[in-house]
Amino acid sequence: MDNILDIKELGKMIDEIETAANGLIEKAQGIQAIERNAERILASTTMLKINVSDLIN
Amino acid sequence: MFVKSERFWNPLLETLPREKIRELQVKKFRRIMKWAFEHSKFHHQLYKDAGMEPGDVKTMADIARVPKVEKSMMRGIQKKDPYPYGDMLCVPLEDVSEFRQTSGTTGQPVYQPDTWQDWEWWAEAWAYILYSQGYRKSDRVFIPFGYNIFVAFWAGHYGAEKLGCEVVPGGVLNTEARLLKMQELKATATMATPTYILGMADTARKKLGIDPATDLNIQKITCAGEPGASIPTTKKRMEEAWGAKVYDHIGATEIGAWSYECEEQPGGLHVNEGLFLVQIEDVETGEIIEEPNKRGKMVITAFDRLAQPCIRFDSKDIIMWHEQECPCGRTFRMIKGGVVGRADDITKVKGVLLAPTAIEEAVRGVPELGDEYEVTVTKKGDTDDISLKVELQTEAENLKEKVLAKLNDQLRLKTNLRYNISFHPYGSLPRYDVKAKRFKDLRKDH
Repeated sequence: MDNILDIKELGKMIDEIETAANGLIEKAQGIQAIERNAERILASTTMLKINVSDLIN
Repeated sequence: MFVKSERFWNPLLETLPREKIRELQVKKFRRIMKWAFEHSKFHHQLYKDAGMEPGDVKTMADIARVPKVEKSMMRGIQKKDPYPYGDMLCVPLEDVSEFRQTSGTTGQPVYQPDTWQDWEWWAEAWAYILYSQGYRKSDRVFIPFGYNIFVAFWAGHYGAEKLGCEVVPGGVLNTEARLLKMQELKATATMATPTYILGMADTARKKLGIDPATDLNIQKITCAGEPGASIPTTKKRMEEAWGAKVYDHIGATEIGAWSYECEEQPGGLHVNEGLFLVQIEDVETGEIIEEPNKRGKMVITAFDRLAQPCIRFDSKDIIMWHEQECPCGRTFRMIKGGVVGRADDITKVKGVLLAPTAIEEAVRGVPELGDEYEVTVTKKGDTDDISLKVELQTEAENLKEKVLAKLNDQLRLKTNLRYNISFHPYGSLPRYDVKAKRFKDLRKDH
């Protein structure tokens, strides 16, 4: 069984999602369909951070 | 390294070595304390008055010095601005997307604001619970819940969705209609209070001629809201009535879904130590209890709840650590037998400490008795008097003397007290749909 998991790599990918979602909000120029959906992505991203990123020192 | 297994929702957290869990908890505690210190007027003042700042927290011992918050304080806070939450609120009012409130069992209800992220967090916490109890994408989960201002099974609903289950919201249907829908859809799982699980089984048998154990397809039941699923005799009744595994979970509106019984049914519940810090305090001395089998009061922190943080919340729940590790492989510590009482429920009667759950265990341990009972404590002169009303099963009406002796034995064994027991016709005591109120203490000066 392969128990090797690169948590740091996962953490980096999670950061990229966060950066992209924040970027969407910044560039949305107030379009709610973009801002609100990006906010929801950020909420889900926080769950990934709780489950993965918090474990990275 | 982690334990790769389909048993776990998140093996990275659930099998983390103990010392790593402790490190993570201190780090996360400091983070939520900093958040509250910087965003809530109430918390800022609380910590300032105690001469503490988040940076002072470096060890578990430091955490134990952080001031506690009680529900009675929250009631006062919520009289302040911004309406209706008060100055414990850590986000702009317009960021609150969910309103719930406590049931008011212990007084004026407390309002609970959550942001969408908090709501995701509720669902996440429930995903841990349901996955550990064997819920999977293939399940069809029937939720016989009123979908109102109380949080309980809302979060269960969203947690089940997160797992990919098919969720059937059995909201405004009555009990008979819910049972028929469960049967029609071949639902595989359900969630309710133990009182309602037993009540539904009774309705199925008596009013619909349905035996839930054989005529329905329910394989697992998740209970919340009452301690019944951790009381062995009540759990046994539910499992036999439904032919299903019954699992306990404990949570609270102002805390979150903090513990769960896994598929191993190890006689205890795991604390989700990735999302919460549970500390058990000696009721008399306030010392932190680390050893198993010693009862104390729970003080709990939710690490990731932001709108109205729960930091060192004195829940008044009486719990104790389990002496065993669970064979499931989770490294999260377990509490033994669930919540064994509440600091404000456990009362002295005739000089003996009495927990109402012990009476439930005794009554439900006598198969000739119905599920319902009612206890009233009064004072007659200088003496406490306990009256216990029970229902005899219809088929046991000729066995009154034998049942009385059996019940007295059980009560003496479990509570060390004597009761004035009266038998009542089956179905005559009050039935409850949500949280039952079976224990009444009418003494004025206890």
